[in-house]
Amino acid sequence: MKGRHMRTILYIGVLIAACCGVAAAAQSKPAATEITIDNFSFTPPDAKVPVGATVTWANHDDIPHTVVSTDKVFKSKVLDSDEKYAYTFSTAGTFTYFCSIHPKMTGRVIVQ
Amino acid sequence: MNAFDPRTIVFAKHAQHVVLIHFPIAAFITAVGFDYAAQWTKKPTIAAAAYFNLLVAAASTVPVMVTGLGAWQWALEGLPLKGVLLLHLLLGAASSALIAASCWIHWRQRRHEAALPAYRLPVETAGVLIVALTAHLGGVLAGVS
Repeated sequence: MKGRHMRTILYIGVLIAACCGVAAAAQSKPAATEITIDNFSFTPPDAKVPVGATVTWANHDDIPHTVVSTDKVFKSKVLDSDEKYAYTFSTAGTFTYFCSIHPKMTGRVIVQ
Repeated sequence: MNAFDPRTIVFAKHAQHVVLIHFPIAAFITAVGFDYAAQWTKKPTIAAAAYFNLLVAAASTVPVMVTGLGAWQWALEGLPLKGVLLLHLLLGAASSALIAASCWIHWRQRRHEAALPAYRLPVETAGVLIVALTAHLGGVLAGVS
């Protein structure tokens, strides 16, 4: 009888630890953000993400585009239709970027 | 960006193509307009204006083709062309060929001091239409259309 209680307590303990682990993992890995490129614009033009977040740009336009940081922090290759580029922001700040083929296309990633 | 900085102008990768393309378009359309006018009025001075505009158009297609291919290699990093880009390249090549053919017809006839053949006008008209279509696609690619 005492052994069964001990086993139950052990199972509960393991379950709580597992829940804490999952919660901690969820906190340490921020959700990914996707910015779409369509009709010569970045949507959303201003993306707010936490430090450590990975931002993915997906080109849904019919023609190629690039994603280039104004401060040369990141630079994608030429993205053909339906190609993606991802960058992980490890420091806080405001990162402005543009398409080097169509410099009128601009956007910002605000890392908090 | 300083618009008058020589480095900006020279190293803007694809920008030269977008600037230079206006020269053959303007000269060719003007030449065809003068040629129709010369056909109508039979005035040699208007025919000469058509010829010299054609010469300018044909000569200015060379830097346009070079910068266009350069834009493909540098700005687009040699990306395999498809869709609008591929169509723009093919129509651009067809436009250049029709401009060169129109210029050659005029040059040959002037050299032999012969009358210009009537078939030149449909060739030139087709050239204007292909040039217009190429320019439209170029505008789409540049994001201005």
